[in-house]
Amino acid sequence: MLELHGITKRFGAVTALDDVSLSVRAGEVHCLLGENGAGKSTLCNVVFGVHAPDAGAMRLDDRPFHPAGPADALAAGIVMVHQHFSLVPTMTPVENLMLGPLRGRLRRDEVAARVRGLMTDYHLEVDLGRRVGDMSVGERQRVEIVKCLIREPRLLVLDEPTAVLPPEEIGALLAICRRVAAGGRAVILVTHKLAEIASVADRTTVLRAGRAVESVEMARADMRSLVRSMVGRDIVLLDRTMAATLGVATAAAPDPTALPAKGCPTSSPETARRPEDALVLDGVSFRDAAGALRLDRVTVMVKPGEIVGMAGVEGNGQSELGMILGGLARPSGGRVFVNGRELTGRPPAEITAAGVGIIPEDRQAVACIGPMSVAENLFLGRLDRFTRFGLLRRRALTAAAAELMRRFDVRGSGPDAPVAQLSGGNQQKAVLARELSVEPLVFLLAAQPTRGLDVGAVAAVYDHIRAARDRGAGILLISSELDELLTVADRILVIYRGRISGEMAAEPGNREAIGALISGHAA
Amino acid sequence: MSRLAARSTLAPGAVIPVAATAASLLLGAGLVAASGASVGEAIAAFWEGMFGSTFAVGASINRAVALTLVGLGFILANRANLTNVGGEGQLAVGGIASTALALHGAERLPLGLAVAAPLAGAALAGALWGAIAGALKVRRGTNEVISTLLLSFIGLLVVYWSVQSEDLLRQPVTSAATLPESLEIPARTKLPTILADPSSPLHIGVFIAALASLGVGLTLGKSASGVRLRAVGLNELAARRAGIRDGRLVVAVLAVAGAFGGVAGAIMMQGELWILKAGFTSGYGFDGLVVGLLARGSAAGVVAGALLFGFLRSGGLAMEITAGVPAAVVVVTQGLIVIVIAGSAILMKGRE
Repeated sequence: MLELHGITKRFGAVTALDDVSLSVRAGEVHCLLGENGAGKSTLCNVVFGVHAPDAGAMRLDDRPFHPAGPADALAAGIVMVHQHFSLVPTMTPVENLMLGPLRGRLRRDEVAARVRGLMTDYHLEVDLGRRVGDMSVGERQRVEIVKCLIREPRLLVLDEPTAVLPPEEIGALLAICRRVAAGGRAVILVTHKLAEIASVADRTTVLRAGRAVESVEMARADMRSLVRSMVGRDIVLLDRTMAATLGVATAAAPDPTALPAKGCPTSSPETARRPEDALVLDGVSFRDAAGALRLDRVTVMVKPGEIVGMAGVEGNGQSELGMILGGLARPSGGRVFVNGRELTGRPPAEITAAGVGIIPEDRQAVACIGPMSVAENLFLGRLDRFTRFGLLRRRALTAAAAELMRRFDVRGSGPDAPVAQLSGGNQQKAVLARELSVEPLVFLLAAQPTRGLDVGAVAAVYDHIRAARDRGAGILLISSELDELLTVADRILVIYRGRISGEMAAEPGNREAIGALISGHAA
Repeated sequence: MSRLAARSTLAPGAVIPVAATAASLLLGAGLVAASGASVGEAIAAFWEGMFGSTFAVGASINRAVALTLVGLGFILANRANLTNVGGEGQLAVGGIASTALALHGAERLPLGLAVAAPLAGAALAGALWGAIAGALKVRRGTNEVISTLLLSFIGLLVVYWSVQSEDLLRQPVTSAATLPESLEIPARTKLPTILADPSSPLHIGVFIAALASLGVGLTLGKSASGVRLRAVGLNELAARRAGIRDGRLVVAVLAVAGAFGGVAGAIMMQGELWILKAGFTSGYGFDGLVVGLLARGSAAGVVAGALLFGFLRSGGLAMEITAGVPAAVVVVTQGLIVIVIAGSAILMKGRE
């Protein structure tokens, strides 16, 4: 139905797509697999008419297809669900749908009826009475999908739809993709999780560094070969961690390098110098502006050289905890100590000075300032080092940033390019670079540090977190992915409705018990 | 498509304002004709008012000085995504402080302090006026557009009060005909003129404005503070997390913007007005705001815009006096320039 021939797209010096060809048939789910920055999103944007290719051609139903913009693509029956949703939060789903493609005088009832029809056809669960702002991410995404389906599209493009979803909602989304394809439509699904591909794709095209390196029918696909194509090296090099991220984790024997033995950190010479706990949260409570108790006497201790995992479904107080640790919110009760020093309600600059690195869960809102350069973002809190007579020494700043980017393998067009131009994985590496270069690093909060990242980036994040641990920092790893915590953490706390509901050793055998705690069933 | 856009945005900062100004001036000429005055006469008077004499040129540049300072304050605060519309009030309190100091003691100070002390006092008064808006924003979340605007009205009324009450700055009332205004400030506190030609009113305010432009240009373009302001303007939360004290920065930048306005008020006072009267600010604060808006963040743009508006004001006054053209025509022309420049900016954006 849709064919791409030799599509090439350059942004400045960066070649995002290099001679990519692929074809999509009606009734199939076609997965685009690749690491961050491999060109998956760019390819989607070319298909959707956002970017015009620099070379190459597209054909839709054997006719040349040159969309001048998304409007042309929409007219041709191509719809796209972006990573960032475009819904009005204060409106209900039906009101949102009435804003878009439907013109003229349309009654709310008619739209609602069509939406209900689509919901039944595709098993899309959406509460039509609620405002979008009150919905979960998964439900919002389903509204976006309804918004696309109501146009009766021929091709549905989904750009990393699972990256934003909690694990329990991913299966439902993939099932929806299958049903859409079963109705004779084509689906392009972008992902970097192999497990998803295995369960949903008819065919898969692997992109690496802008090139289509492999295109296979899933019936004949070899997982190992796909991984090799994707990361450019052999799967034997993949440790358990990476396998877990890919979603192909098996009950492999614990790997001593990936899962350090308990108790080992306390015996390291580093910790002898620091008798204090890296972090002590002593009965921290937090009430939000509406008066709801979001954190209820949370007490956590993190020793130097220890990775403490915090498991829980998002929205159980993790965000508030992150804000308090980062100095962006003041607890309504309790105290915070780092290395024996009280930091309750202190400003962020003082917290950083005390040796605290923060990788916030919401990169866009708290860690990165998109339009500013990578260099400025990396050194925003330390600009004074680069001033002389009150003026900024740009060259020194750029050089220092380039060095930091090299050390943390942040790939992009350079330190002076806006950070928004980096792929998600590279943005996260930049945040790591900034927060891990706090000297001396006493405590690191890593909140959902791998969300939306591809395999390579995830492995890098884990490596950096482990390296910080080995240098003696205490680490609190907040994650909603239990696999991640079981792989990386030394012990796991479970947070449920603002309370620590239990603690477990990070051993695969405890998975069921931890899962029960996460969902609120007392162990 | 993107290549085309890149070419057409090569120098929009310069091309668009010039084209917009030319077009607006043509429309202005049309308005003059429509108002019944002779277009030729009006243009002659307009030119005469702007460039016809050393007096005209000097007066125009002096006007531009005040506009430059207010405009600089605007773009500085605007870098942190703050909209300071309080120029008028900051001019007003600056003028009051300057007059008060000039009349009460500054005269006796040695060296240049007789001139500098009232200027410094005005800067402080303006800074206070700006800082109030900043503190309200940080503490209470009050929108600075509203607070600076309301503070402007307060400032203007304080001028009115100051010249009504003998306990404040009103000259001693000797008869029923004594005007509600201050005494003339002493000669030693007036800004020295630059040129030997006594007919030129051009004073050292030009140097102050030039220094301020350079300072603001460097601050925005080359300093760490410029980067911090931008960070706070773009994403307050991320800036705060990175260790920037955003609250302090907001108060500080609004205070500095206010100080610029205050100094501008003092320069008007000590430069050519010499007597404090109600309404002495006569819209310079708002014109300065427009200059700042049109400059789109560039200090050089502020200077260019201020000169344009300064000369336009002079030319307009002359047109009104000698050619009998309604002053409103000049105001309308200025308005047209603003709309055309702002409108073309929006058009450019839409095309990208």
